[in-house]
Amino acid sequence: MNNGDARAEIMRSIRTHLAMSAPYDGPEKPINTNPSKSPVQTAVPSVVELFKQNLEAVDGHCLVVYNEAELSEAVNRIVNGRRVATSDAPPATGDLFKYDVGITSAQAGIAETGTLVLDSSVERNRLVSLVPPVHIAILNASRIYRTLSDALTTLQSGEEVSPAITFITGPSRTADIELTLAIGVHGPQELYVIINQNN
Amino acid sequence: MNTETFAENAKAALQDAQLRDALRNATTLFGKKRREAAASLSNWEELRSQARAIKDEVLLHLDRYLETFVRNAEKRGAKIHWARDAAEANAIITRLTTERGARNVVKSKSMTTEEIHLNAALERAGMQVVETDLGEYIIQLADETPSHIIAPAIHKTKRQIAELFTTELGMAPTDDVAQLTSTARATLRERFATADVGISGVNFGIVETGTIVIVENEGNIRLTTSLPRTHIAVMGIEKLLPRFDDLDVFLKLLPRSGTGQALSTYQSFITGTKRNASDEGPEELHIIVLDNGRSRMLAHPVTRQSLACIRCGACLNSCPVYQQIGGHAYGSVYPGPIGSVITPQLIGMQKAAQLPYASSLCGACREVCPVKIDIPQLLLHLRSEISEKQPSGRRKERLLFKLWAAIMTRPWLYEKTASAARLFQRWLKPPVKAWTSGRDLRPIEAESFREQWRRTR
Repeated sequence: MNNGDARAEIMRSIRTHLAMSAPYDGPEKPINTNPSKSPVQTAVPSVVELFKQNLEAVDGHCLVVYNEAELSEAVNRIVNGRRVATSDAPPATGDLFKYDVGITSAQAGIAETGTLVLDSSVERNRLVSLVPPVHIAILNASRIYRTLSDALTTLQSGEEVSPAITFITGPSRTADIELTLAIGVHGPQELYVIINQNN
Repeated sequence: MNTETFAENAKAALQDAQLRDALRNATTLFGKKRREAAASLSNWEELRSQARAIKDEVLLHLDRYLETFVRNAEKRGAKIHWARDAAEANAIITRLTTERGARNVVKSKSMTTEEIHLNAALERAGMQVVETDLGEYIIQLADETPSHIIAPAIHKTKRQIAELFTTELGMAPTDDVAQLTSTARATLRERFATADVGISGVNFGIVETGTIVIVENEGNIRLTTSLPRTHIAVMGIEKLLPRFDDLDVFLKLLPRSGTGQALSTYQSFITGTKRNASDEGPEELHIIVLDNGRSRMLAHPVTRQSLACIRCGACLNSCPVYQQIGGHAYGSVYPGPIGSVITPQLIGMQKAAQLPYASSLCGACREVCPVKIDIPQLLLHLRSEISEKQPSGRRKERLLFKLWAAIMTRPWLYEKTASAARLFQRWLKPPVKAWTSGRDLRPIEAESFREQWRRTR
């Protein structure tokens, strides 16, 4: 099969059919260079508070800590002696299925939706956040953006983006059986975000 | 069931009390959640207009955007394959999987792969293909097809699903949804662990970065696109957005319109292949760029709108026809109002001539569509194409409308006809049994407005 033919034929078909759809509305417009941002409500809580609210609304847990000691105490309390995989030194992918808890950092947060952003340029093993039944993510308060739009902008430097970026909003969920919500279908059943206010 | 027997399919669906309960629950809930989610943003209408403007821009210059997308994706290590139609797409994917010695293929939910009937093609080539979205997995086990774009197994009860899991997976009988879900999780994890190839769809292709974006709630798409060595993504030519920032608009509209969520649980933004061999993720990314009848829709401003669709399913939930008959009656992969306009254009007007009539033209779909597709306008456009193409089949209809037009454009003739009809209505019943079997035909008033006007002024 000559795939070059397919390419040429599809492009030709696009051009021919577009040419038929008169009236052609002018030259290429510089598209919508500024999609307007959703207006932020007045008297909003702090980004940390907003993040927490929105994460809890989608069944995630959120803890705020103020120093390293509190952070490790919080982690230990959640882990509670179970088997832990960390994204810094992950087990082999096949073994990951045997772990109870996965600990990762998050490169950014989005307050208006309670979303974590994991960027492969830093977080090279994102499966740690997906495969074990419990995911603990550590997020620096300074990296929480108020809006989706703000976060999207920072993911791009020039026209480059990292090979794999993952947004996570709450634990894995489905309502595929009789619309009944079930948490933890393929991903974690529990998501803990620990916000570090230290930085 | 197929598209040509729509009327019979619909009648059968109307007799299915269980189906209608399920549909009422689903469409009511999705509708309510969509309304609440839309109301949570003060600029919802502005976002819809913006989304449509972005889509229109892409479609009007689709050749250039597609070239640029492909160039940028290739620059980042993705391999692009062009498929004119379903057969070509299936042949390419079968070749890619066979060449890699693959036996086990995991798939995430994708309407486009349903459209090309990829599973059947791969199974013919000896592959074990498993759908990993819970709803899709259920209907694959039951050997059925999806009945809703975002909730494919909405027509099945948990008891039916429990029976299915008991027979097919050897599960101990239960109808606890959490138990059913964890059974599926455990079974599918084994499949993920041994999968050679992962196949996904694409929600958005970002032109300026060559990124593909896939949206989900369960996590199976993340597993499908991370665990196997090879990831194949099937993308319709219309899925493009010019800029990364355009996602702000579309990620606000899609989940809110589909499930009423502010954001779906997971978004994967995949740009080419990984940078270091030791990094997590597939070694190869293949993007199949599929036409399959889409480029033809560019030929007219009305049909071109069909390509703006982001497959949210909101029009299904809002449609009084879908609400009663569900997705299977349409006999095609894409059900509901959007299916009624896309299917005839994809598979040919002859094969789906009943679908554009599966609507009361109430306009509910147009009101909820996040990209403002004027579906009623499209339905009328397709209806007129059908009646022009098959003049013989609709001779009576055409004759009646000609007569109607002749009367309505001549006031004197209208008055004469009306008074004649008034005189004869006691003895002559008009031949509109299809209408009167469900409703009363109102008698013509004793005096028309014009007559009253003349008498009293």
